[in-house]
Amino acid sequence: MKIEVLFPEFCNLFGDAYNMVYLEKTLPEAEFIRTKFSDDVRFTEEKMNLVYMGPMTERMQEQVIRKLMPLKEKIQKAIDDGTVFLFTGNALEIFGDYIENEDGSRVECLGLYRLYAKRDMMHRHNSDFEGEFDGNVIMGFKTQFTMAYTPDESHGLFVKNKGVGLNIKAKYEGIRVNNFFGTYLVGPILVLNPPFTKYILNLMGAGDVKLAFEAENMEAYEQRKKDFAEKVH
Amino acid sequence: MKRNLRFYFALMFARGTALVLKLIGRKGTSMPGSWAIILCPDFIGRMPKPKKIIGITGTNGKTTVSNMIEDVLEDNGIEFMCNRSGTNVATGVASTLIANSHFFGKPKCDLAVFELDERSAPNIYPYMQPDIVLCTNIFRDSYKRNAHAEFILDILNKEIPKGTKLVLNGDDPLCSSIKPENDRVYFGIDHLDTDKKECDNIVNDVPACPKCHGPLVHDIVRYHHIGRVHCEACGYRSPDIDYLATDIDTKDMKMNVTVGGKKSEYPLLNSTNINIYNALAAIATLREFGLSEEKIRNSMEKMGISETRYSEKEVNGRKYILHLAKGQNPIACSRAFENIRNAPGKKSVVMFLDDYFDARHTVENTAWFYDTDFEFLNDPSIVQVVIAGARHHDTYVRTLLAGVPAEKIVHMRDESDTPAAVSKEADTVFILYDVYTIRLANDIRDKMIEREKEGETK
Repeated sequence: MKIEVLFPEFCNLFGDAYNMVYLEKTLPEAEFIRTKFSDDVRFTEEKMNLVYMGPMTERMQEQVIRKLMPLKEKIQKAIDDGTVFLFTGNALEIFGDYIENEDGSRVECLGLYRLYAKRDMMHRHNSDFEGEFDGNVIMGFKTQFTMAYTPDESHGLFVKNKGVGLNIKAKYEGIRVNNFFGTYLVGPILVLNPPFTKYILNLMGAGDVKLAFEAENMEAYEQRKKDFAEKVH
Repeated sequence: MKRNLRFYFALMFARGTALVLKLIGRKGTSMPGSWAIILCPDFIGRMPKPKKIIGITGTNGKTTVSNMIEDVLEDNGIEFMCNRSGTNVATGVASTLIANSHFFGKPKCDLAVFELDERSAPNIYPYMQPDIVLCTNIFRDSYKRNAHAEFILDILNKEIPKGTKLVLNGDDPLCSSIKPENDRVYFGIDHLDTDKKECDNIVNDVPACPKCHGPLVHDIVRYHHIGRVHCEACGYRSPDIDYLATDIDTKDMKMNVTVGGKKSEYPLLNSTNINIYNALAAIATLREFGLSEEKIRNSMEKMGISETRYSEKEVNGRKYILHLAKGQNPIACSRAFENIRNAPGKKSVVMFLDDYFDARHTVENTAWFYDTDFEFLNDPSIVQVVIAGARHHDTYVRTLLAGVPAEKIVHMRDESDTPAAVSKEADTVFILYDVYTIRLANDIRDKMIEREKEGETK
């Protein structure tokens, strides 16, 4: 099993690097390829079971776009071929159409799905999110400068129950295109949501593996569900 | 900025508010300043200011350093105003200016020392130009307010006035890069026995050369991105240090500080790396202000770290240590965990990490746990970890993932149950608390001490 983590030295904000540490503890036999920004990405040349990228600074986002833009067609092919991707935080904006700054200027992105984001650097958005995925509750936190918009919500990832989706009015949080999963939820999402993690692991071909500290983590998940029910509106 | 009718109305209203607050016995509030800014948004700009202003900013250590600077000034009989009892945002600055002014706003003294929240820079610096700004360091902090280190650095670069002299941490590549055109001095530490070659922390906010984004060579790693670096691609290197701490002696609690080739001895208040940096930052700022080394040294001999940050009590040979571990701040908590690991003897760690307000009203974003080096708690010298609070299950999972054996951990919802859970095996009990849970931590510590005296510790 091969997992490529893209640019972990930069794309690691909000504790999200631990998504991959949690998978490492769950899949001790798997090969984790941590591709530095100065290196060539591997997933466009060889089959990966998962490609992960975490949140980054706005300047870094623009550098990542410049680096990946020449690989656009190969990335599209990997998505079409069913490679599993998990992009968290503002990483999901990179494969969208564009990012709009406050002054109206645009940062062109790879354009692999119809989604754009609007930055508002002086008004940070923070909220708790509760939604549904594959019959299970999904929980996470949002801490971001952008809101994302998409012309059709058919690619929405999580059905929103509480909190804010891709934007204030959206009924969905995140985006799913084939096996590409993009979500703004931090937490880290794979630690906070054992059922979702199991779903991803199955999709990756790992089968029904036992998660690291599964019993303790499920207990924390169940308690969090109660707390969200009681305290998040 | 000229003073207009609106300004005077705001000033009088704020004075009235302060008077009412005084009559009902409330101190240290920023309410007068809040009203002044609501009624006159550029109030700070219009308010007459002292002749000299020192600002203290940065992610970590600014309260400790501000307190040190203020204590030294006070000990030397220098009159000044400061926002020590209030807040470090614009409303706190406005309240301090109001409280220390004559009826129409003329300041009562010629010097102000302000602790300044770095995120509040856009609300402060356009209206007030400090003569000196000390920046202790720049790190990842609260995700909610500060987003990431680059965001804060951009704010400071944009807002700090051109004419302000900077006192900067030369061992921090982010901090030392602030406003390159401004006049500046750097402080730094020459060598510590604990220096490393590689970063063993989760967070490293300077993963590449700040100038060319090429690979950085770490000559010294102290903690996270603090240390000495150079870039072989573009020639960037950590700056030469103007205030260099050498000969750190944690046994006799003293250090030398070399300035312009002249070495002077100063006392150390605390032996942890962060507190050596804090003391050095205070010395550099006071020297730049114009205070002699002798006066600074004599005052520092009489000082201690504020009890709101750290305090020790010993009963029956067992130490009970209250240690601030600022919530939602991964670096501050990682520093606390490493200090505990490095402390001598067998230790129990009692953690109250939850945000006080979030715990009552919502579900706290605990993502910051995963930027925090809980891994330091996985050490044979730490015999027990006691976790309590609303997010105790989440903290428990994080502690397990850090490698701490399950049999060493106890966790519970109610903080008041922790005294009964503390093991007798430890020589030292560390109680970690957030800024807003200091009272809770004090109460729990007192209960632990009562149990110790009554021989009820397990």
